[in-house]
Amino acid sequence: MLEHYIPILIFIVIGLGLGCVLFLLGYVLGPNRPDSEKNSPYECGFEAFEDARMKFDVRYYLIAILFIIFDLEIAFFFPWAVVIREIGMTGFWAMMIFLGVLTIGFVYEWRKGALEWE
Amino acid sequence: MIEQTVFYFFAGLLLLAATMVITVKNPVHAALSLVLAFFCSAAIWLLLQAEFLAIVLILVYVGAVMVLFLFVIMMLDINLTVLREGFSRFLPVGISVAVLMAVSMGLVITSGRFTTGGNYEALKHAADYSNTRELGIALFTDYLYPFEIAGAILLLAIVAAISLTLRKRPDTKTPKVEKQVAVHRAGHVRLVRMEAEKE
Amino acid sequence: MTLTTELALLAPEIALLIMTSIVLVVDSLYDNPDRVLTYKLSQLALIITTGLVLLQFPEVSTHIMSGHFVSDPMSAILKIVLGLMTLIVFFYSYDYLLEHELLKGEYFILMLFAVLGMQIMISANSLLTVYLGLELLSLALYAMVAMNRTSAVATEAAMKYFVLGALASGMLLYGISMLYGVSGTLELPALATYLGAQTEANLLLVFGLVFIVVGLAFKLGAVPFHMWVPDVYQGSPTSVTLFIGTAPKIAAFAMAIRLLADGLQPLAGDWQGMLIVLAVLSMAGGNLIAISQSNIKRMLAYSTIAHVGFLMLGLISANQTGYASAMFYVIVYTLMSMGSFGMVILLGRNGHEADNLDDFKGLAERSPWFAFIMLILMFSMAGVPPFIGFWAKWFVIKEVIAAGHLWVAALAVIFSVVGAYYYLRIVKLMFFDKPVQMTAIKSSQEMRMVLSLNGLAILILGFMPGFLMTLCIEAMGF
Repeated sequence: MLEHYIPILIFIVIGLGLGCVLFLLGYVLGPNRPDSEKNSPYECGFEAFEDARMKFDVRYYLIAILFIIFDLEIAFFFPWAVVIREIGMTGFWAMMIFLGVLTIGFVYEWRKGALEWE
Repeated sequence: MIEQTVFYFFAGLLLLAATMVITVKNPVHAALSLVLAFFCSAAIWLLLQAEFLAIVLILVYVGAVMVLFLFVIMMLDINLTVLREGFSRFLPVGISVAVLMAVSMGLVITSGRFTTGGNYEALKHAADYSNTRELGIALFTDYLYPFEIAGAILLLAIVAAISLTLRKRPDTKTPKVEKQVAVHRAGHVRLVRMEAEKE
Repeated sequence: MTLTTELALLAPEIALLIMTSIVLVVDSLYDNPDRVLTYKLSQLALIITTGLVLLQFPEVSTHIMSGHFVSDPMSAILKIVLGLMTLIVFFYSYDYLLEHELLKGEYFILMLFAVLGMQIMISANSLLTVYLGLELLSLALYAMVAMNRTSAVATEAAMKYFVLGALASGMLLYGISMLYGVSGTLELPALATYLGAQTEANLLLVFGLVFIVVGLAFKLGAVPFHMWVPDVYQGSPTSVTLFIGTAPKIAAFAMAIRLLADGLQPLAGDWQGMLIVLAVLSMAGGNLIAISQSNIKRMLAYSTIAHVGFLMLGLISANQTGYASAMFYVIVYTLMSMGSFGMVILLGRNGHEADNLDDFKGLAERSPWFAFIMLILMFSMAGVPPFIGFWAKWFVIKEVIAAGHLWVAALAVIFSVVGAYYYLRIVKLMFFDKPVQMTAIKSSQEMRMVLSLNGLAILILGFMPGFLMTLCIEAMGF
């Protein structure tokens, strides 16, 4: 079974190698002459007022967690689709029930306005 | 031979990444190291011929859970100096607990009684073996009931997440697209005929 | 067994899931004022599922769904008790939520999910279903504790509960994976068969057992894994405390029976010792620390820990009658705990929580009837005859002595006497102290009636404990 994954391994090796080589090339070949002016932060000629990193809104969290839930649902679909011919009607309806339960969740989040971005 | 090389490469990288998760100072870097750790464990699972789990690990954990982690880290806006304040004060306690645990673990492991009871060889499957298929058959026949419970847990997760984080903001001003689109000329524009005026 | 008969046995769970989904959709579609519709529908859901359990009360033990689900008399009795208890929680909490501006449809929905999780735990026949049911329950409880988002105390409680709960789940799962790794089966009866056939001790098995017992102790809240209990009890809204302090105890008991008796009975020699330590520590810690509390919710939390110790005592004899005494204890305890938190809810009003001991001062002058109900509850908790709490302690101690642990029984009696101090202190506050405030108690007719019935049930059951005990012994006979 593993031999099917040889291309992916080769891909990873090439990707990793290329990434490292390009970084090294830039590091070795590029001129590097820092001075204090170059290294100081620049903000329209002023000293920086505050940290550039702002707090994220909690709404991003909600979107991400809802995404995870439906992502997991999709993950269950893969094995189901592979074996649908072997598991018969029971397996088919099992997935439909699972899907139904999550659809109710979808209706709920839609109605609650969790998908809206005010 | 190749398999072993690949295993040692990913296992070594996994250990490195996992160590970085707890040692690097920037929490965002820690989260990215965790991504690398997940990726390496996915590679190891693949070597164990658990291909479905390996891909799900990347799809769900790297693709979704880590995004959530990063959001949370950015949301919390962790202040590193505050975080490190009590470090030297708690260091003696921490070290003594760590030493105590290491010693007790060492005693257990070297006692000679702690064996797994045999040498286990990983099962080798034929070339046409599909882990996804095997898993699917088990999941939709023998493990049907746990599978449906998992559906209920996911539904509960939706309800819990929404009830805990959703806040209605009545004071925000946003354009209501559906209202904008539904506008008719009649309700908003009045044509007035005006007599031409003479100067 | 055909699929139809399997589904028929699963009917209570299926009905509850369907009803919960309906409540969820109705709550989000219709903006009903004061959530009356959601509230009534949720109650209906509980009545339907409990009714279905009653309708097909099993006389034998049947394993269905590829051995993941078991239907036996114990599961039916516990599910009925669970349904009734949650129904009482609904009665107690509605007005409270309304007054404290915490009323949301999700509150009832989460509670229904928690009940579903507990039903799954009660009927679990495999390590996997025990874990999944537990997660369903815990997830709902974390969300319920955190529901009051404006309260810093509630958020802190939820945080502690979640972190420690997740740790406990991890421990349990780790133990489960070890057991599965050694035995190669997740089904509890198959696990017991496998363990019974082992002749020499397997260190990995005992290792797995330790993790499972630790996970159980965390969930039950036994010393030294009790740290979350007082904070969660005090921090969450009283109606949530009421729920956490009652129904999940039944599920935790069922989980203990399923894991320790159904699955790990052959390892009883190993877990008995652990349970004795946990039980004695819980009784000592809970009763001694409770004395110094001034907040009644916190005091009841420590009292819970002490009662959990007693519950574990029932398990250490590792035989049918011992389990029956523990079952008796847990049912009686939830009834008493329900009444006590119900009193805290009854006394609080207009957004004020009556969670200080001072709020009970002079209750006899303000409302003699409810002072009497509280007197019954406290006497019963302390284990004063003839109230039902006495019989619960009596049966457990009898089993402990029969199992030959005389010292443990002696300690149990000593700590019960220590515990009686802080229960009786409340009686003293109610009857012999001057009230701090003289405002009349304001509550709905429903609430008064259910609370009175709750208190009287403890009194009446105290005169006829044999009925409940017979039921418990019969439930354990399979």
